Amino acid sequence: MRNVAIVGIGYTPVFVSKRRDVCIPEMISEAVENAFKDSGLTPADIDAIIFGNMHTFEGVNLPHLWCADYIASLGKPVMRIATGGTTGMAALHAAYYHIVSGLHDVVMVVTYEKHSEGDSQVGLLGIITPEIMAMLALGIDVTGQSGMGAIGGGSAGGISYQASSYLAHSGAGIEHIDAIAAMERRNAAKNPYAHLKDPEATAEKIAQTPLVSYPIRFGHICPTSDGATVCILASEEKAAKLADRAAWVWAVSNCCSDATTGNLIEGIITDPAEQMPAVIASRQAYERAGIEDPKKEIDYVEIYNGFAHQTLMFLEKIGMCELGEAHKLLEKGELEMSGRLPVNASGGVVSTNSIGTSAMNRVTECALQIMGRAGEHQVEKEVHKALAHGWGGLMQYVTITILADKPKKP
Amino acid sequence: MGATEEAFITPAIPMDFTYNYRIGLYMTRYLEGFKERKIMGSRCSGCRKIAVPPRKYCGVCNKIMDEFVELPQEGTLENFTVGHVVLEKGRLNPAENPYLLGLVRLDENASLLLARVEGLDPAEARPGMRVKAVWKDQVEGDYGDLDHFAPA
Amino acid sequence: MEGKVAIVGFRMMSAPDLVTSRERLTFELTRGLLDDLGIDRVDVDTTIIDSNDFLDGRTISNVFLDGPAGAYLRDESKVEMDGVNAVIYACMRILSGQYRTAMVVALGLTGSQVSPYLHIEYALSAHYDRQTRLLNELNSAALQARVYLAKYGYSEELLDEIAAQALGNAALDPYQARRISGVGKDEVAASAYYYEPLRELHCYPPTDGGCAMLLASEERARELTDKPVWVLGMGRSIETFYIGERDLAASPSTAQAAERAYAMAGVKNPGAEVDLAEISALFAHQEPLLAEAMGLLEEGKAEEAYRSGDTSVAGKIPLNPSGGALGGHPICASGLIRVAQAVRQLRGEAGENQVGKAEIAVAHGQDGLCAQQNAVLVLGV
Ligand SMILES: [Zn+2]
Repeated sequence: MRNVAIVGIGYTPVFVSKRRDVCIPEMISEAVENAFKDSGLTPADIDAIIFGNMHTFEGVNLPHLWCADYIASLGKPVMRIATGGTTGMAALHAAYYHIVSGLHDVVMVVTYEKHSEGDSQVGLLGIITPEIMAMLALGIDVTGQSGMGAIGGGSAGGISYQASSYLAHSGAGIEHIDAIAAMERRNAAKNPYAHLKDPEATAEKIAQTPLVSYPIRFGHICPTSDGATVCILASEEKAAKLADRAAWVWAVSNCCSDATTGNLIEGIITDPAEQMPAVIASRQAYERAGIEDPKKEIDYVEIYNGFAHQTLMFLEKIGMCELGEAHKLLEKGELEMSGRLPVNASGGVVSTNSIGTSAMNRVTECALQIMGRAGEHQVEKEVHKALAHGWGGLMQYVTITILADKPKKP
Repeated sequence: MGATEEAFITPAIPMDFTYNYRIGLYMTRYLEGFKERKIMGSRCSGCRKIAVPPRKYCGVCNKIMDEFVELPQEGTLENFTVGHVVLEKGRLNPAENPYLLGLVRLDENASLLLARVEGLDPAEARPGMRVKAVWKDQVEGDYGDLDHFAPA
Repeated sequence: MEGKVAIVGFRMMSAPDLVTSRERLTFELTRGLLDDLGIDRVDVDTTIIDSNDFLDGRTISNVFLDGPAGAYLRDESKVEMDGVNAVIYACMRILSGQYRTAMVVALGLTGSQVSPYLHIEYALSAHYDRQTRLLNELNSAALQARVYLAKYGYSEELLDEIAAQALGNAALDPYQARRISGVGKDEVAASAYYYEPLRELHCYPPTDGGCAMLLASEERARELTDKPVWVLGMGRSIETFYIGERDLAASPSTAQAAERAYAMAGVKNPGAEVDLAEISALFAHQEPLLAEAMGLLEEGKAEEAYRSGDTSVAGKIPLNPSGGALGGHPICASGLIRVAQAVRQLRGEAGENQVGKAEIAVAHGQDGLCAQQNAVLVLGV
């Protein structure tokens, strides 16, 4: 199979709560411009474009059509990918297959979200709108069904089950969630493209934020951000000509499970902390990348953590440590930027979440670490191989991308 | 059990969502122009074409349109359709009376502007007719200020 | 293109109202197809779901389809555009060598929807067209129809003839949703105007429908079927959104998509080499317009072609022998159904609408106003 490299990355200048000054296509075009600047490429170099976002959040449909002029796409193949929270990485995977299939050489991935223009809670509720409406029609008291309402209600409700279950199984405490949240907000303070930054964040400070739904506190939850990310991928032959620095894609994989809410309705509740798709997808990625022992071979990890406990939970699920061990690594400082296994030096999703970009930013942040271009949030150790994790759907869909500092040997 | 044997409930979804779309830098200029009864466009520095309403990018040249231009109020009806239906919230309903929608060219380099055309029997419409902008009595920088076009 | 990809089977369904849920439709299509092929869901390496959240009334609409599509604890991704693009993505995944089989499932249920045009309303620019409320899918198509007729001096009667041919074909096709027999051009001309010159029977009917299709690598395809249909060429392109800046009487993005597909397939003279075409013409005028863009009809000769019967099932270049999208247009699934209909022809299984020689076929799908975005496949036996 051909090797594929990431040769250009473009972010909007900021990721913030409200971009009042620009409309959706104008905001996207800023990231496109920056990706061209970063890579030194021009629109003529691009063979195909992938576009992804979660359009029900802004109440816009098929924005790639009416943003076509702003994304250098005219006359080119354009593919729209949407898989919820993982959209950004699923779109990047589509670009990867455009190239490894041999059909295209240079592919640009455009992702964005402009949360401030819609209501994210409504967008999330939309996942189970039909169920809720059916329950209303049947005279079932939805507010009484706290589990039901909670699952859809901004996902914090459903997530609290996940966090409780994780704490019970792992032996970690709510203080560990406070600590990891604090670490990521401190990391975010060093990332110019992060949204919630607090250089002084501590576990104690996070612990003072209000409890939303036990054990989830306000300080454990991601913000809703406006922002766009663009990433340019190229085949090995092209990358050699185009870029002096690149991050190489060694493997991509994904896995989905059943929709948890469906089971909730039928009264069979899948443990939302089980996350089998993360186990399956990561194993497949390791196999494809020829990685035998991820604990030894992976230097850096970006976890999709809409909620802070997920950093710890997913590190275990993807085999970066034993079950129940993640909070111990945290206690020892190993997850810090200076640590043995630095995680989310970017600040993670818990610090910045413009959802269409969130899973893609996990990959671009790994790429920056590999290329040594992360600036202030560059980790201390050398990063040769990194893993990016995406999570979403209805808590049942996982994507994995493994990057390295050199092309994979055939 | 086959599909047709299933029992269904068909709940209507009683929700009307509100969105806050930012109109951006270019559309703001367009609506600002409306306050003075001006029709603004943006010109591409590459192909010299003018987009009405103005926007940031010319997709053909992949260039930022950095020049705002004011367009004449009078133009040519290039293409039109007579509507016998209206689409309201995704449903097709009969129109009270047939009405005319036209694509109007205000400058030979400008894009065609879609607008209502009034003041003539729809059956009398012909491509090439000269039409002029008709503004609301009170303009306030809103999309509806430029009310329709009428025979010049 | 290195390596080959084949379509080994499909299941499809459409109706004005299927009286079913999206989940059950997905299950019945995929389970049925697996049974047809004598395989199980674990024999499918990757699944591409194609649906639209707005249409489905559900955020992340694929999450509830993963299970019914047989993708539980397996590899799945979702394309949100016309189904031809989902086939192209599936082909890419197989060509990568990482997968031997790929299931494509596309569905759209607008026929039974209360507001069948709502999702297209939302597919207009948020900060202009949705605020001025002037532009919509039907009136933009009418503007396109008008310039197309005017370009060659055709009368509106041509639209009636095109629609009559399509509806006649659809009436004989067991998979179509709009099956009305005895509709000639006079009946078409008697249907009510939507936007002039387009009348009700010149336009696609909102439709419930879906299609599942299994693709496989050459080696696996030969194990699964005696009648593989090969994907010989693929091409896609998009043009600007703004209808005031487009040459509506032509479709340059379709021409580009077709050129790319022909180049890959080694088709040099499409007019002579292609035996039939399944075209996503959502409105009558789009059938000759898109066929011209794909080099299947000579420009300016549409009237002669339709009147002489060249475009009929028995003609020189049968266009939409299935009846095309005028017989049913379940959004997302529509283009996939065009592909499936082309496969039926190439396998000689198209029943009353079977064309004579069927060795090379073209299938086309579109998205956006006036076919802003187009995808073309060249298929062969
Ligand atoms: Zn230009």
